[in-house]
Amino acid sequence: MKKLKMIKELPLIIILVLISIVITIINPSFLTVENFLDLLKSNLVLTMMAMGMLLVILTGGIDVSVASMITAVTVIIGNSLIHFSQNILVTVLLATLCGVILGLINGLLITGLKIPPIVATLGTMSMILGIVLYVTNGNWITGIPQNFIDFGRIMILPKTLADGRVIGIPIQIIFLLPIIILTWFVLKHTVIGRGIYALGGNLESADRMGFKTNRIIVFVYAFEGFIIGLSAVAHTSIMRQVDPNAFLGFEMQVIAAVVLGGASVLGGYGSVLGTIIGVALFSVINNGMILMRIPTFWQKIVVGLIIISSISADMIQKQREEHLKVRVDVDEVASYEA
Amino acid sequence: MKLKIKGLIATKEGILFIIFLAVVAIMTILSPSKFLSNYNLQSLAYQLPEFGILSLSMMLIIITGGINLSLTFSATLAMIVGGLAMSSVFANTGGAFLALVIGVALMLVVAALAGIFNGFVVSYIGVTPMIATLGAATLFEGISLNITKGGAISGFPLSFIMIGNTAILGIPVPMLIFVVILILMWLLIEKSKMGAAIIMIGCNPKVAEFSGIKVKNVLFKAYMISGLLAGVAGVIMASRYNSAKESYGSSYLLQSVAASVLGGTSISGGEGRVVGTLLAAMILQVISSGLNIFGLNRYLTNVLMGFILIFVLAINFVTEKFKKN
Repeated sequence: MKKLKMIKELPLIIILVLISIVITIINPSFLTVENFLDLLKSNLVLTMMAMGMLLVILTGGIDVSVASMITAVTVIIGNSLIHFSQNILVTVLLATLCGVILGLINGLLITGLKIPPIVATLGTMSMILGIVLYVTNGNWITGIPQNFIDFGRIMILPKTLADGRVIGIPIQIIFLLPIIILTWFVLKHTVIGRGIYALGGNLESADRMGFKTNRIIVFVYAFEGFIIGLSAVAHTSIMRQVDPNAFLGFEMQVIAAVVLGGASVLGGYGSVLGTIIGVALFSVINNGMILMRIPTFWQKIVVGLIIISSISADMIQKQREEHLKVRVDVDEVASYEA
Repeated sequence: MKLKIKGLIATKEGILFIIFLAVVAIMTILSPSKFLSNYNLQSLAYQLPEFGILSLSMMLIIITGGINLSLTFSATLAMIVGGLAMSSVFANTGGAFLALVIGVALMLVVAALAGIFNGFVVSYIGVTPMIATLGAATLFEGISLNITKGGAISGFPLSFIMIGNTAILGIPVPMLIFVVILILMWLLIEKSKMGAAIIMIGCNPKVAEFSGIKVKNVLFKAYMISGLLAGVAGVIMASRYNSAKESYGSSYLLQSVAASVLGGTSISGGEGRVVGTLLAAMILQVISSGLNIFGLNRYLTNVLMGFILIFVLAINFVTEKFKKN
C-alpha cells in the first residue's frame, strides 16, 4: 500500500526533475542555493494557502474567496500594526482570528444554508473584496513599524557570500513548516482527516458511516481561514507594506497548484506531498521562464498548457486502466464459459 | 386576477419578475429624474445585451453540470484576434466592408474554436469542467496578452463601431442581436431534442448515456455553442468600446454565474430556464447601473451583488424547506 502511494507522486517528481534539468542547462544559476532560497521565500504564501485549499478540495468543495480573505486580513493587520499594537504575537492572534471568522462564514453558508461551495465563496469573495477596496480605496498601506520589518528580515542559518551579501532561510518558514506538518497530521492521524477523505469520496455514505459531515466541513473552512491568517502575517512581513490589489486572481493560482499536485476537484483524492510538489512545479516553471528570459506574456500560456495537459494525461491514463479492467472481466467470463 | 397573481408567485420566474419590478420601482422612487432619464435607459439597453449573452452562455454549461471559467477570456481572445485582422485589413486595403466581414467572421470562428477546445478537453478527455476551463482561461489570456503585449487593439472601421452604437427604429442593434439569441437559446434548451439531452446529462450523465444519448457529442456541442455566444458578446463589446483588450468584460465572469444561479439554474446541473436567466441578468444590470447613477461607490455595488446572490439562495433554501414541511 505504501509503495503504491509512493508511485502515485512519482510522475510529478519526474516532471519536476526534468524541467529543472532543462532550466539548469539553459541557465546554471537556477541550481544555486541562493535561487532556491528565493523560490522558497516567494512561494511560501502560495504553499501555505495551498494546504488550506487542499483540505477544501478534498471535501469536494472549492473556495474562490481565498484571495479576498488574505487581502482583508493583510489590510486589518497592516492597520493594527500601525495604529494599535506592534506586538507580533498580538498580530498573529488577530490575523488568525479574522481568518477563522471569515472561514467560518463560508463554512456556515455551505452547511447551514446548503449553498454550493463555489457559489457561496463567490458571494463572500464579492462582498469581502468590495468592503476592503471601499475602505482602502485601493491605496497601499505603508509605514509598517520597524520592529515588524526587522522581524521579517531575520534569517535562520545566515551565511555571507563572497560578494558580501547575506543569504539564509527566511524566518517566515516558522509559519510554513508547522502548517504543513499540522495539515499532514490532521489528514493522516485524526478522525477528522478520515472524515475529510470519506465525505469527499461520497457525502451520503460518509454521513451514514457516522461522520458528522457538517461539522467537518465547517472545520475545514475555518482551518483554511486560520492558515490564511498566518499567510497574511507571513506575506506582510515579507513585503513590508500592504497592497489591496496584490492578490488579484491569486485564488486561481492556489487552485491550480493544488490540482497540479494531483488532487481531484471532485474530492476524496489528494495528498500533502502531492500539493507541495504541485506548488514546486508551479513555482519552478515560473522561475525557470524568468531565468530563461522568456517574455512574461508567454508564462500564462505555458501555465495554462501545463494545467490542461497534466490533468488530461492523468485522465487518459485512468481511462486506459478502466479499459483494461473491463477486458479482464470479459476474459474471465470467457474462460468460465469455456 | 387573484389566481393569476398566485400562479405568478408559484413559479421561480414569477418571483424574479416581481423582484425586477420592485427593483425598478425602488430606483424610480429614489430618483425618477435620474433613473428614468433617457440617458440611463439608453445605456441600460446598450449594456444589457453583452452581459445577457454571456449569462446565457454560462447557463448552458451550468445546465450540463459544468462551469465555464474561460468564458470572458474566450470573448476577449476572439475580439483581439478578429480585431487585429480587421484593423490591419482596414489599414492596408482601406476596404471597410471587407475588413468588417473578415473581422467579425474571425471573431466568431476564434470563439467557436475556443469552445471546441474546451469541449474536446471536457467531453472526450474527461477533465473536470472547472479545471479544464480554468486552464483554458489562463491559456487564452496568455495568448491574448502575447498578441496585444498588454495594450489595446484599435483602428476599426466605422461600420464595425456602428454595430454596438446605433439603433434601428429606436432599438439598439446589440438589443436586436440579444433578442435573436434569446429566441434561439430558448428553442435550443427548451424546445429541441438537444436541449432535452443537455438537461438529462446535467441530471445524471450515466443515466443519459444508458438511455441512448451520445453524451460526449452533446457536451462537445454545448461547449462549442457557449464559445460561439462568447464570440457574439465579444463582437458587441469590441464594437461598443471601439477597441479590444484582454481585460474587457472580466467582471462579467462571476456575474454571469450569479445571473444563472439567481435565474434558477441549478449549479449542479440539470435545471435552468432562459427566461429566469434573462430576468436575473436584467435585475443585476438595473441594480448595478442604478447604483452607479446614484453615485454609490462601485466597490459597495460589488458588496451588494455578493449579498444578493447569497440572500436569494438563502431564500430558496428556506422556501424549499418550508414546502417540504
